[in-house]
Formats: sequence, C-alpha cells, structure tokens
Amino acid sequence: MRITVCWKWVAVDGADPDDRWAGVSPADEAALETALTLAGNGGEVTVVTVGATGSDAGLRRATAVGATHVIRVDGEGLGARDVARAIAPIARGSDYVLCGDYSLDRGTGAVPAYLAAELGAAQALGLVGVDRTRVPLRVVRRLDGGRREILDVPTPAVLSVEGAVARLRRAGLAETLSASTATIEVVAGPRPAEHDVVVTPYRPRARMLPPPSGGTLARVRDILDIGAAPAHGDAVTLDPPEAAQRIIDQLREWRYLPRDTA
Amino acid sequence: MTWKDVVETTRETEQWPERSFEDLIGSTRFDVHERAHIVVDDTVCRDCPSRECIVACPAKLFVPTSDGGILFNYEQCFECGTCYLVCNNEGAITWTYPEGGHGVVFKLT
Amino acid sequence: MADVDVVVVGAGPAGSTAATVLARAGHSVILLERGPFPGSKNMYGGVVYPRILDQLHPEWWEDAPIQRWVTRRSTMVLTDDQALTVDFRSEKWGRPPYNGATAFRPDWDSWLASKAQAAGATLVCSTTATGLLRERGRVVGVTTDRPEGDLRADVVIACDGVNSFLAKDAGLYGEVDAANYTVGVKETLGLPKEVIDERFAVRGREGVDIEILGGTGGVNGGAFLYTNFDTLAVGCVLKLPALAAQELRPEAIIAGLKRHPAIAPLVEGGDVAEYSAHVIPEAGLAMMPKMTGDGILVAGDAAAMCLAAGIWLEGVNFAMASGIYAGEAAAEALAAGDPSAAGLAGYERRLEDTFVLRDHRKLRRAPGLVLSDRVQHLYPEMIANTVERMFRVDNPAPKPGLRAIFNSERKRAGIKLADLARDARDGLRSFG
Ligand SMILES: Cc1cc2nc3c(=O)[nH]c(=O)nc-3n(C[C@H](O)[C@H](O)[C@H](O)COP(=O)(O)OP(=O)(O)OC[C@H]3O[C@@H](n4cnc5c(N)ncnc54)[C@H](O)[C@@H]3O)c2cc1C
Ligand code: SF4
Ligand code: SF4
Repeated sequence: MRITVCWKWVAVDGADPDDRWAGVSPADEAALETALTLAGNGGEVTVVTVGATGSDAGLRRATAVGATHVIRVDGEGLGARDVARAIAPIARGSDYVLCGDYSLDRGTGAVPAYLAAELGAAQALGLVGVDRTRVPLRVVRRLDGGRREILDVPTPAVLSVEGAVARLRRAGLAETLSASTATIEVVAGPRPAEHDVVVTPYRPRARMLPPPSGGTLARVRDILDIGAAPAHGDAVTLDPPEAAQRIIDQLREWRYLPRDTA
Repeated sequence: MTWKDVVETTRETEQWPERSFEDLIGSTRFDVHERAHIVVDDTVCRDCPSRECIVACPAKLFVPTSDGGILFNYEQCFECGTCYLVCNNEGAITWTYPEGGHGVVFKLT
Repeated sequence: MADVDVVVVGAGPAGSTAATVLARAGHSVILLERGPFPGSKNMYGGVVYPRILDQLHPEWWEDAPIQRWVTRRSTMVLTDDQALTVDFRSEKWGRPPYNGATAFRPDWDSWLASKAQAAGATLVCSTTATGLLRERGRVVGVTTDRPEGDLRADVVIACDGVNSFLAKDAGLYGEVDAANYTVGVKETLGLPKEVIDERFAVRGREGVDIEILGGTGGVNGGAFLYTNFDTLAVGCVLKLPALAAQELRPEAIIAGLKRHPAIAPLVEGGDVAEYSAHVIPEAGLAMMPKMTGDGILVAGDAAAMCLAAGIWLEGVNFAMASGIYAGEAAAEALAAGDPSAAGLAGYERRLEDTFVLRDHRKLRRAPGLVLSDRVQHLYPEMIANTVERMFRVDNPAPKPGLRAIFNSERKRAGIKLADLARDARDGLRSFG
C-alpha cells in the first residue's frame, strides 16, 4: 500500500518565524500515525511538506518515526490551491492521501479538497475514526450537531483526520540519530498561478437594522422567535409526579418538546 | 509598616490592578504530556503537619482540600524541583521529568 | 562496543561547551537535551559573563544573541520603606570585549549548542536521559526515554543541571539538603524600549543590572531587576526552608517587590510576558559532589558550581568553564585510552587551577554569610537607618557624628559587636 501524508510546518507563535517554536498540528501527527498503521510492514509512507528549510526539522521527525520517504517542496506563502498542485505529482499513484483536518495556523482547510480534485480521488474529510481492518476502508466522519456518518471509501482517496484519531508514536533513539543527519529531498515549488481566485474566509455582511426597542428579555425573545412567553413564572407547590407533568407541559408549550408525544 | 502591609495597602491601585495567578502562569507555555510526571501520594500528605509544598511551589500546584488532603495537578509545572526538595516525607512525591520534548517551554527568561 | 566516544547530557552552557571542545578534538559526541530545543527548560536571572568564551569562540560578541550590554551595575539595600543604592557605570563595558550582558536562555543556549553542532557534535533534543548504564562498576552510557534508547559511550559528561539525577545515580552526591538550595522566581515584563532607556538612564544596547538585598518579604534571599531590550526581568531568589516556613507565596513576594517605592516607578505598567522559576544550588563548595567517577564527569550546576554570593549571581560562566575543562579532560583520557576516574583526573586539576574552584574557595563563607539572619534581617535596617540619619537635617539639633549614629543604630537593631566583627571579617575574607 502506498500512502502520502501532507504536513504543514507552522510557527506556533504567529508573529515569530523562529523554528524553535514551530511544529505540525496534532491532526497532522494523527494523519501520519494513521498512515503508518494502515501501511503496516511493507507499505510505503511518503511525507510531503510545502515550506522553507525550517520545515526539514519536521520531516526528520517523520523519518525517525518510520516514514519511508520525505520530500520538501520548496515554497512559502502559497495558497491552498497552489499547495495542492505542488503536492499532486508526488501524491499521484498513492492509495490514500492523508492530511490533518487543521494546521496549527488554522488555515482555510481547503488543501485536501483541492488535492482530491487534482488527483480525481474520492474524499472523506474531518474523520474521527478509521477502521483499518475493513476493505474498503471504513471511516467515521463528524457531522454537525454531533451526528456521525460512516463511509466506505474506495481508492484512491484523500482523507483528513482529526487530532484525536491517533497519537503519533515516539521515535526510537537510533532512528532519531540517523534522521538527524539524513539529507532531505527537496523539489522546486510552483510559482503562484496568476489567474487563481483568492478565497478568503466567509464573513457575513453588515446590514441595517432598526434600533432595538423593549427590554432585554423581549429582545432576546424577538431574536429567538419564541413568542410571548410569560415574563415571570408563577410559583406553585406540587407533588413530584404532578411537578414533573407540569414541567413537561410547560416545555411543550414553549415548543422545547414536540406537542404530539403522549 | 511590615512587608505584608506594603503588599496589602498597595494591592489595588490604578497601576497594579489585581492579577489572578491563572493570568500569571498563563503567560508561560507548557506542552503538556498525557502522563503525569510528578505523582503525589495524598495518603502521606494527610499526616503531614508542615505542608511545605503549598507555599513553596512557584506554580501553585499543591492545593489543600477541605478534607485534609492535597490536590496536585502536574500540567503547569516548571520542573524546578522545589517540591521534592522541601517535602520531608518519604514517598509523598514521586518526581521525574516529563517525556522528552514535553512540559514547560521558556522563551523570555 | 560504544556507540559514541562521549555522551554529554544536557545542552545548557556546560553541556554545549563540553561538546564543542570534544567535537573539535575529533571525537564523536552526542549532546542530549530533554527540552524541544536547547534553553527551553532553562531559566535564570538574566546576566551572562561570557569572557570565558574568548578562546573557544573568539569574537563571540559578533553573533551572540544578547539583549543589552550591562554598563550599569547597582547594588541596592531595601527595607520596607528605605532604599540605599550603590551605583556604578562604565562605558568600557559597552565595548568589546564587554563584561556582562542580559540575554534570554532559550536564545543563548540555542546559540551555544549550534556552535557545538557546527563543530561536529550531534544534538538530540526531546530526549531525556533516565539513568546510567554500568558495567563492572564503570559508567558506560545512559538510558533514555526513547524506544531502544540505550546509548553506550566511553565517557558520560553529566551537565544535567541542578537536579542532576545522573550525578545522584552515579553516587557522587552525599545527602541532599534543601537548605543548600534556593528557588528563583521571576516575571518578564514587557515595556517599550524607549521607556526602559529613559527610566534606567541608558541608551542603545546599554543595560542595567540591579542586585537587591532585602525586598523578599522577610524570606532569606535576594532580589534582582535587569533590563532586556524591551522587557525587564524582576524576581527574587528564596532560600527553600525559609520560604516553606512562612506564608507569603513566591508570586506575592514578587508582587510586593514590584510595589516597593524604590522599584515601582521602574517597573510600572510592565505587562507580564512570562512567569518562570528554577532552583539554584546555593551553597557552593559546601554542597559540591564528587565530580569524577569511572567513565563519568559532572559539570556546571549538576556539580553545584553556580556562584551565588549576594552581589554575585554567576552560574553560566562557571558552567561554560567547567564544560570546557570537562571536555578537555575527557579528550585527554580518550587519547590515553583510559576513561577511568584516574584517567579523567585532568578535570579536577583544571578546576582547581582556574577561577572555577578558586572563586568558590575564596567565597566559601559568602553564601552562608549573605543568607544569614543577621545580614538578611538586621543589617539592612541598621545601614539604611544610619544613612537616613546622616542625611537627615534635624535642625536646630546639630549634626551627629557618623560613629555615634552607627553605634546607636547597631544597638537598636540588637546586634552584638562581636557578631558584627565576625561577619565583617568573613565579609572581608570573601569579598575583600
Ligand atoms: C533564578 C536564577 C537566577 C540566576 N541568575 C544568573 C545570572 O544572572 N547569571 C548567571 O551567570 N547565572 C545565573 N544563574 C545560574 C545559572 O542559570 C546556572 O548556573 C547555569 O544555567 C548552569 O548551567 P548548566 O549548563 O550547568 O545547567 P542548566 O543551564 O540547568 O542546563 C542543564 C540542561 O540539561 C538538560 N537536562 C537536564 N536533565 C536532563 C536529562 N536527564 N536528560 C537530558 N537533558 C537534561 C536541561 O533541559 C538543561 O538544558 C541563575 C539561576 C537561577 C535559577
Ligand atoms: S507533598 Fe510533602 S510537604 Fe506537601 S503535604 Fe504532602 S507530605 Fe507534606
Ligand atoms: S517541580 Fe516546581 S513547579 Fe513543579 S510541582 Fe514541584 S515545585 Fe511546583
């Protein structure tokens, strides 16, 4: 099995470009650990990062924990699409491409999607579980509102995983030592494409609203659209069973519970 | 005026709004490892009359509980060694360094 | 078979200089550091005295990561509401070869370790040495917290700082007594450079070093205030048993120091950028371990070489020096094919012949004297009151003589002449 893992090396302390305070996100680490377990013995795991020389430190660590190849695409400040284009030729032919679902600088998170498009691969993003015993691979994806989605993914596929999926193993001493002097393969990065549309995060536009009126509670109700509930509850003394019924009725009335359940 | 008075009387002026200890220690970076590198045996602490650790730990990690025990959190620890040095009770503190690469990371000191 | 000639544990000032010397002598060296990078675990007050590097790294000042060159040194005696300052400045200290400089340890130690790497040593970070490997009573390497983490070497140099579990593991330490240690606690406060320049009357890269006697809320110890480029370091050093025996917590003691009328105007408005703490081996010669064993040398704070004697708080220079000598002695032993304690004897010879142990011998009474109850609790008030009365204009009363004031203040403080004479003699022997 061939797997490519994409790592993003980021200065943790935003303003400080110093590599002593740089690293990859727990999600990126989880992606590598998942790849190493998936590939097992005899599999091939390539870790690729698009970045400046500082990111070599990350690639050395990847080597030390067991990546079979590491490649740095030389480049800095590229957009998500250019990063995907730079990685695509390296990732082509892999069964899976694994990414973390966020980087330390919380970028747009668009690289995996662009990459899937470049490779014509399936994609399953934001995974919270990977079951490697199943063929095809079965993964669990987090949806809004705490719901989960179980997917069987074909190859080739681009997967992005959350940090909690796996904890990256600790590198052995001998491996760390030999990685510390290994030469890192570097390929030239692309020039940023000129025709690209720059995608910025979505920000809602401001719009004019009439000035608020009424008390705070009324305004909150207005916004929440919960109608005219009484301003204050009334105090009643009831037995526990009656009290429970009363609460249920009230919740129904306020539409926190469906009205028709018995 | 004693030193304590100095501290008390000048406590909340314009220039020195009271700062919580959490804010103070929040200025330091810690890459916490999942394994606790220091373990405190609360059963020993229950019989400890002196409780040196509470005042001496610069990270304020030893907190007395209402039932006479000690609550210890290892996360925001300077790995300084003060606690095991001041504690005279055999077996109360098991002290090791966190796994390499984890724990406190100083920057401006 | 050894994996390398030498394992140096700890990439602090001692470890990095030892590794540099050995790598330059052509030996294979692994420099182990438990932090993610050198200096990440290391906190100190804030002034390095790097002249010991003149030979190892000529013109070290060209690329050393310093904050400010110390051109002003003040010694301050604080009581609750008085302050007596002796202030010295020298323009010479602002020019090569310089004297001292404020620097951040994460910067300084990283820089020093990069020199060791440039010399050919292999730096391995994020790796904690967990113990010693032994064979027939000889140290033959270390164990680490990595998988398959044993590392065999002909010589191990323990530069693992004040807690040195390696030196303890090697049985080189006697009883560990909390009374020999102090804890240093510090706040780094952000302030614009111009504000610092103005408040401390310095320009450009000039900086100030203020050592303070008193100011520790009655806990035996001392305090300090140093200028960095656009931050200040303010903190205190507290004797462990004394700290533990009272109620003020370290951060409250710093808070009190920052509010002292003599300190407040200097630090006002500074935002805490980092809070830190570290332990100091304070007792000097009295607590030093055996420094040599079969296959092992101990250097720097691991061997309690920090000089903490009141107006002096120097450890980085002692660590760098002992690292250099440990490196030289290990190279000598390896060349002779004898890494036993006898083969490594060149280390202690070098320490005895240089400032490392000479300063410690000369100042052997100083730590005890400076942290004594009289110096800590009685003398500051006596001195400050004497000076206050000397400068006070009590008209119509005529000016009293200095001797009369001093004697009455001495009596008021309850200090016996014999004790004063003894302390003065110890002080003169140490500092004279
Ligand atoms: C509050 C305070 C103020 C001070 N002020 C000054 C000052 O102004 N000027 C001055 O010159 N000195 C000062 N000192 C003293 C100075 O900091 C020390 O003397 C000096 O750092 C000693 O250097 P070292 O290399 O021996 O040890 P350290 O600097 O402590 O370095 C030890 C290194 O070993 C590493 N290590 C430890 N154990 C292991 C292990 N098991 N495996 C791997 N790595 C390990 C540590 O992470 C560390 O990097 C001060 C100290 C303190 C605490
Ligand atoms: S840790 Fe030690 S000093 Fe603290 S309460 Fe427990 S026994 Fe006492
Ligand atoms: S090592 Fe220092 S900071 Fe950590 S718990 Fe002990 S005293 Fe507190």
